[in-house]
Amino acid sequence: MSDSSRFWRWGLAILGVLILLYLPVLLTERSILGVRLSNMQLLNLGLTQINLMLIAMLGALSLNYLTGMAGLISIGHAAFYATGAMVAAITGSQWGWPFPAVLVSAAAVGALVGVIAGLPSLRVRGLYFVLSTFAMHYIVVFVFQEYQFKFFDVVGVPYPEASISSFVLNTPTRWYFVLLPMVVLVFWGLKNTLSSREGRAMLAMRDHELATTSSGIDVRFLRLKAFALSSAIAAVAGALYAYYLTNVTSEFFGIHFAIQFIAMIIIGGMGSLSGALVGAALWLLLPSIITGFASQGGTDGGLFQQMLVENKSQLVQVIFGSLVIVLLIFAPTGLAGIGRKIQTRFVALWNHP
Amino acid sequence: MLHTDHLSVAYARKGLALDDVSLSVPAGGIVALLGANGAGKTTLIRAVSGLLPLHHGKILQGMVKLDGHDVTHMSPYQLVSAGMAQVPEGRLVFKQLSVKDNLLVTAAKLPRAQVQERLDAVYALFPQLLERSTQAAGWLSGGEQQMVALGRALILQPRLLLVDELSLGLAPLIVKSIYDQLLVVGETLGSAMLIVEQNARLALKFASSAYVLDRGRITFSGTAQEVANSDQVKESYLGSAKPESARQE
Amino acid sequence: MLAQVLFSGLALGSIYGLVALGFTVVFKATEVFNFAQGMLVVCGAFFAVTAISLLGLPFGLSLVFIVVAAATLGILIHRVLIQPLSGQSMLSVIMLTIALSIVMRAVIEITFGPQGRTLATPLPTGVFLLGELRISQLHLVAALVSWFCMGLFGAFFKFTPIGLLMRATADNHEAALVCGVNVNLMNRLAWAIGAVLAAVGGLFLGQLQLASNDLESIGLLALPAVVIGGMQSIPGAIIGGLLVGLIEQLSASYISPKASDIFIYILLILILLIRPWGLFGQKELGRV
Repeated sequence: MSDSSRFWRWGLAILGVLILLYLPVLLTERSILGVRLSNMQLLNLGLTQINLMLIAMLGALSLNYLTGMAGLISIGHAAFYATGAMVAAITGSQWGWPFPAVLVSAAAVGALVGVIAGLPSLRVRGLYFVLSTFAMHYIVVFVFQEYQFKFFDVVGVPYPEASISSFVLNTPTRWYFVLLPMVVLVFWGLKNTLSSREGRAMLAMRDHELATTSSGIDVRFLRLKAFALSSAIAAVAGALYAYYLTNVTSEFFGIHFAIQFIAMIIIGGMGSLSGALVGAALWLLLPSIITGFASQGGTDGGLFQQMLVENKSQLVQVIFGSLVIVLLIFAPTGLAGIGRKIQTRFVALWNHP
Repeated sequence: MLHTDHLSVAYARKGLALDDVSLSVPAGGIVALLGANGAGKTTLIRAVSGLLPLHHGKILQGMVKLDGHDVTHMSPYQLVSAGMAQVPEGRLVFKQLSVKDNLLVTAAKLPRAQVQERLDAVYALFPQLLERSTQAAGWLSGGEQQMVALGRALILQPRLLLVDELSLGLAPLIVKSIYDQLLVVGETLGSAMLIVEQNARLALKFASSAYVLDRGRITFSGTAQEVANSDQVKESYLGSAKPESARQE
Repeated sequence: MLAQVLFSGLALGSIYGLVALGFTVVFKATEVFNFAQGMLVVCGAFFAVTAISLLGLPFGLSLVFIVVAAATLGILIHRVLIQPLSGQSMLSVIMLTIALSIVMRAVIEITFGPQGRTLATPLPTGVFLLGELRISQLHLVAALVSWFCMGLFGAFFKFTPIGLLMRATADNHEAALVCGVNVNLMNRLAWAIGAVLAAVGGLFLGQLQLASNDLESIGLLALPAVVIGGMQSIPGAIIGGLLVGLIEQLSASYISPKASDIFIYILLILILLIRPWGLFGQKELGRV
């Protein structure tokens, strides 16, 4: 790597970190250095959307790890979220454990459920396995539903306030500074796992299972490990989600919840972890941006703008669904793949003007 | 009537399979295509019959001409309508359909009145098929399945017949009898035939001319006699069959 | 009462069988596991709403409208989405059908609003008594029509030349090409049939309940039906559908309405673990 591109990389990285640190201030004060910014200029985003995006990133990263890396197709991700939420309800709302302990217990139970969910992969592969995750989704959500009605009521499962010893998470900014490091941690952790010996074995397993098995690596064990790790992260995300919203019902975890993660990783690009981040960001932030554009028209906005406002979430789904379809047909590597191609071109141009 | 002009073909995952291949099959003629395993014989058949896309293959350059018309990018079913028929490698019978239904699939293109007549012609050629006409083709022996595949190809009285590895997995006596029938058909219908065979001796008995393919290139061509007697052919044939280690000296 | 529950289970199961049949036809022809089948059922219900309530067509004409609209939709989906993806991994195709279902769901919500609509068909909604049995006329008609459609399709498949070509294509794709079958056309036909069968199911389910996006999860019950019955098997799909209907009604009556579907999914997992090729399927190696 040449000196100039190294300089650029470090520069961008530092800039990125500064932006990330300043972001909550920007979004809560809604001004830069005293200059007040309009809603539109901030893309109609609030810290709440960013926080929900961060939680979704955890889900997308874990699913990406499982599907894109380990080659295991799973439609059951909502089930792991639900598991985490349920464990959080039991340990947090019912038994009053401290927040960090709740998260750890969610991870532990999530890993266990993940191993169970992965067991069918020892017996069946491919399509049959996808179907088993599909069935498992319904079963887990049913369990959550029963739990909700038995111990609480139809309004939902309530959650206490989250706090880490004396640091109470009662503002979006505080949540941001807890969620952001978690996302970064998980990202780096997964990235390191993938470059470890086991990680590379897993990638090999995805591409050439027979070769991996014959080279002495226990493929089944690797698969279950991948499942355990992925679902542990998703369960923690579920617990965070539950605590953040302070109230969830079983309806939150329908099959569409599971499907949206799949959409996220396809849009971002299945083979790359950063793609998962891109996909999650787009999925969570686009609705607000669209509403922003729609309401920009004001009350005298035309019919089109009215339709935008009324149907913003559906429109987002149409856009995303179509985007996924287009990407699947024309660019299976997703936006991250396209991004990499652009980057390679850019670097090439930079080095050879 | 069939010509390939400088045909080059590659597969998505396996690379170049045919390199600048030009051959022709005259109307009514029987041409053998010889070569060791992996030389590209089946690839050529696929390229000519429009089956390349199914196997992730692509024609990089060159043309396929049938009766002077450029048919390089025609779809398989259009080629069948144009008079091309194939007995594919591995037979590819419809395992769950009865023998009769197998034949009827191709016969679907015929006007109703002709169907029975053509069926009877095939049964006359291969009486075993009549015996087994209601049995599922998947249960038949290899030789009988070969008859089904051949019968299927002949129903439309093709002008060009492509035969890919007829002898594979079959007992010599059965193979000989099938080739005998093939000769009869050739004479009656006047069909041109392109016969792909690993068993060179057998093919050269039936063909009037032959081409030898070695790793995607035509290395020899001529009358059957010339090919059978050529030392160069014997060497390139046996030479490319030698194990890798011996070659890398 | 048991006979009552069994009857409604079989009636609903016939509808599920019909939808499952449509699913299997598509799967056998193009090897696509169509997660959008649930939405095709919903589309059927909304085609009905459009024809009957919005366009005010007489019932007979409405039926024609539904069939034509569904067939067109099926053909469009195959031509635009499935054909370009042929040869790609199964994961991609499954994702595609899932994404398609997301788009369809959203478009329906934008066009018709989030509330469901009642279907105003002239189908009988009364009940007639057979001894102590209260037989819903709608259930009976739905079952009869479903069986009629299934029989019609079966005859088509088995006795017509095109049916033979479709069977051949499903049996061996390459051999069909070699025999001069226009495989793309056969596939498009399969998708048209799959969509039409789903739409008919949607018509009845929409009348029984409400024409809304919620019908999707009912339509998706065709998936476990097909797996339990055997994915490549046509009788398997129908029997799977009947089984699913029975289990659903039995669980709803004797355990709890909320638990009605859970046993289906438990059975699905059991089948996947013990006998993945289903009750009537054939063990195939390296299929997926």
